[in-house]
Amino acid sequence: MKEYAILLDETYCTGCNSCAYRCIQEFRYHDQAAKGLFRTFVQINDDGLYQKRCMHCLDPDCVANCPMKALTKSEYGPVLYNATLCVGCQTCVKMCKFHIPQYDADTRKIVKCSMCAHRGSEGKMPACVEVCPTGALEFGEYSEILEKAKNVAARNNLKIYGMKENGGTHLFVLAKNEPVQIGYPEVPAKDTKTASTGNGFTVPVMAAMAVGGFKKFSDRRAQIEAEEKDSKK
Amino acid sequence: MGKKIEVSRRRFLQVAGATGAALAGSAFPFRNLKPAWAFGDHPQEQLPYRITKKIPQVCARACEADCAYNVVVGVDPATGVERAITLEGRPEDPVSNGKFCIKGMGFVDSMYDPDRLMVSLKRTNKNKGTDEDPGWVTMKTDDAVHEIIEGLKKFKPEEILMCSPGDPYTNRLCQSIGCTRADQRTECFGTHYYINCLTVTNPPNKVYSSCYTPSHHVCGYDYDNSKYQVWFGFDSFSKCGKAGMLNHWATGKRNGCKIVMFNPVKTPLMEGYASEYYAIKPGTDLAVALAMINVILKAGKYNASFIDKYSDAIALVDDKTKAGLKTEDGRFLSWCTKHNKAEAIDECDAPALDGGPFKVSIGGKQVSATPVMQILKEVVKTYTPEWAAKISEVPAKAIEKIALEFAAAGPYAMVPTYKRDAAGPNYANSWRLRHAINILNTLSGSIDHEGGILLLHDVKMPWIDELSPPVVPYPEQPAHPVDYRNQFPVTDNIYRRKDFSAPGHYGMVGWGLYKTNHTKAVFFRNPHRGLFSMIQSQMLEKSLDKIELVVDWNLYLDDLGYFCDYVIAAPHQFEGGKMDLRLYYPKYPCIVGGSAVQKPTGDQIGWGGFAAKIGLALAPKYWTTDGSGNPEKKIPTNMGDVAVKKMGIAEDAADFMKKGGFWIDKTPYQNYKQIKELSYGRPNGRVRMYIDEFVEVDHSPLPIWAPRWHESKGEYKFSLLVTRAPWHMHADPNFINNAVLKEVTIRNHMDAVWMNPEAGAALGLKEGDMVMLENDPKYMKDLPRPQKAKIHLTKRIDRKDCVLLFHGIGHRAKNLKVAANFGYRDGDLIPQKNPAIAKKHDPTGMGWVEDVFVSIKKIS
Repeated sequence: MKEYAILLDETYCTGCNSCAYRCIQEFRYHDQAAKGLFRTFVQINDDGLYQKRCMHCLDPDCVANCPMKALTKSEYGPVLYNATLCVGCQTCVKMCKFHIPQYDADTRKIVKCSMCAHRGSEGKMPACVEVCPTGALEFGEYSEILEKAKNVAARNNLKIYGMKENGGTHLFVLAKNEPVQIGYPEVPAKDTKTASTGNGFTVPVMAAMAVGGFKKFSDRRAQIEAEEKDSKK
Repeated sequence: MGKKIEVSRRRFLQVAGATGAALAGSAFPFRNLKPAWAFGDHPQEQLPYRITKKIPQVCARACEADCAYNVVVGVDPATGVERAITLEGRPEDPVSNGKFCIKGMGFVDSMYDPDRLMVSLKRTNKNKGTDEDPGWVTMKTDDAVHEIIEGLKKFKPEEILMCSPGDPYTNRLCQSIGCTRADQRTECFGTHYYINCLTVTNPPNKVYSSCYTPSHHVCGYDYDNSKYQVWFGFDSFSKCGKAGMLNHWATGKRNGCKIVMFNPVKTPLMEGYASEYYAIKPGTDLAVALAMINVILKAGKYNASFIDKYSDAIALVDDKTKAGLKTEDGRFLSWCTKHNKAEAIDECDAPALDGGPFKVSIGGKQVSATPVMQILKEVVKTYTPEWAAKISEVPAKAIEKIALEFAAAGPYAMVPTYKRDAAGPNYANSWRLRHAINILNTLSGSIDHEGGILLLHDVKMPWIDELSPPVVPYPEQPAHPVDYRNQFPVTDNIYRRKDFSAPGHYGMVGWGLYKTNHTKAVFFRNPHRGLFSMIQSQMLEKSLDKIELVVDWNLYLDDLGYFCDYVIAAPHQFEGGKMDLRLYYPKYPCIVGGSAVQKPTGDQIGWGGFAAKIGLALAPKYWTTDGSGNPEKKIPTNMGDVAVKKMGIAEDAADFMKKGGFWIDKTPYQNYKQIKELSYGRPNGRVRMYIDEFVEVDHSPLPIWAPRWHESKGEYKFSLLVTRAPWHMHADPNFINNAVLKEVTIRNHMDAVWMNPEAGAALGLKEGDMVMLENDPKYMKDLPRPQKAKIHLTKRIDRKDCVLLFHGIGHRAKNLKVAANFGYRDGDLIPQKNPAIAKKHDPTGMGWVEDVFVSIKKIS
């Protein structure tokens, strides 16, 4: 399956929030948005525009720590959220370094972007990307979007956010000013995760990581099998 | 126990290396590898509603672009009923290019706003006011309309004021009754409209009635192909949300257009789209524009071919009377350097561009005359960049550089302007700035040229008068209209004789109603803006107390309703069909149609039907084909049917919609073709830089420097700048009464007054402090109403001498549950205009909405 990502070029964004409203209409969550719970939102700050939305981390802390497995990382990019499994413990709220999942106390559920996973099966791009009047948002295959982010950043002397933060994400932000200055959270890099982004890791390093990965995969399989066994009892 | 596998170190590295390389090659991220859900099974991979249909529509009243789109209808999972869900773009539309904005989406949800007016209301408590209970009783709309008509019959035409934009129905109604039409909505385009009429398009012409459609503007801008633009306050926050413009600006940026912006406020548009930015002193843009003209003329960098062939630069002006010289049949005269005599301009093969004065013989009389270009050079010769720098605080070197770059990029260079940017009716000198801008666009040869100013195309929507001309001439308009139009002959002549749709003088309506007593009935055809989107509404409020009959036709009971005797329910804009000429981007002749998304869900009446009922009752001979007044012989109003039939693209509007509701002619734009037909002079029209009409009212025929009307004094030192949140449109409850948009407003601090942090600190203000904004009593003599507001300290306000207010908030209608009492009311701080003062400063009589200084005091 192809893997997807979003590119946000802040230098084309005007803060119109059409993306925010289109998202609300797509998912019919007007009541939550009226309380300030947005899946995506553009904040017009002094030094630039901060678009607060799920970064869809390559290795999401919310997924790793969700005790109910309500959050899952799809193999094509988005971090998905299953509200029926969520018990509202807010672990994800605490764990996310980007401060993305928002808790709705009325429904005891989380509000978070799904990268419009439901539109993908119809060959459509996410609603926010489709509506963006200036084309500041782009959607495409991960490797192509990543390449474009690097090229545009180099050509226009822009900063990239989302490539190293938390080990890399499926959303890349290009900005004139330092993203942290604009309003994006300061999130440390996770070196291991940049391996998949083609940042010059050598084969032996990749190999060592692959072994570690297989072990992790194997451990997880074992864990799942054990759980399945338990559940059948 | 599993079997132990022996692997040599070499073999391990081979396997692991190959696996690692394969993973690296596939770019597959290193994470939880087992998908928890098969693709498509996860709940978030399911469409949250079922789409049932898509209905073509065209936006209206949210901005000047009017994007075409489809309204997506589906079954709402929350209610199980079918309803409009969202919008979908129409990529074939040359205006929107498949985009739409947050306001367009707001219209979808406002169809279901529980505060929408579903029935018509009649007041039972004669005491009017926001805090009075009107004692509303509901009425059948037909009955209410009947009572209103009977009420209107009691008044003379000059006692009736119709507050409405000049649409085909309103025009017919006001002209047939003989009553005054004035409106706020078009006044915000007024300066542009009138200066364009006086310099470029000379109404009436073959497209003039279509000028109303997008913004009362007579041209569009080819942002996509422009190479250089200068924006005087054009990048307001409201423009940050206009998809029909944004998509073109983004295209222009990708095509390498350079944009220079002058604005005391740093907007997101400036951050992303400006190549250069200058925090100009408010109200001084005119000085920069004049200096740019000075630089271009001094360096001889104007487009000589254009000004010779398509402008009045070579036309002669009588030195004594200051009037342009004409042949007996109305053609411009120029001085022939070959024959040493004045000749009809198009017949002169060696015209003098400058020099003079020349001795010209006209009708046996000798007069001294000078070419317009020579006069222009003299007028601007003292307006050097250094002079402008002192006034505007923009560096002289920058002004000179910008002027020369602008000229060099022509005709792919332009200064765009619409509505309430710095060249709108924002300052008493804005009409001069607008005039100077047209001269700059003339000097660069960008008018009627690709990459510059696009003049309207030939395709036209016929109006009622073309379908059914009046059987006898209309009665004269009132001699002393309450908006004082008659005291502004330049614009009054256009309104009375050329284009009845011409913008009103709404900035003086409140003054007129308050200071005089001859108006007895006021009818608001209020496209849900609310009385209080107007300037100094307190004057209008007070005056409506004494008016015998006040009616509002409205989608909502807004705060205007609390001063009305009747409020008649209007349908939503998606509850009717549309036909639109795509005039915001008139590069290609184009028609797009829209169909009703649903029938009006209450007891509403459309404006066309309402106007026809009033017309048939009050002026029957103009509303029947034979003048008999027989209701069975009503005049036809099927303008859309006639338009598509005449174009040969469909049998009628219904047939057009069946065929997809879209037609375009993509023949390449023909540069300088429309000027000949639309502009001044015959047989070949020319752009005018010199406006004789201003001489007749003691104003300069060419732009000269004039300072602001309102002066800063003492504590009244903050220049009041006004903008709108990108998701609001005036005080329109379609957006203001939307709880989501309210939250977006709050989170972006657009319910606050924005101020420079240093300026705030000097007053001891902290973020979020409550302050009182107050006018200088010298400029607000009647009914001052200071405003209480929250402060937002932000570096986006680049200067310490101004504050930014957001227009449209501050509704006082209690029934609008979301909008009521949210924020402040900017309009209360902007004085209605004394016509005597307006006349002295501005022959177009527009509203000067930012020519105000206020004091700011912390509320403890």
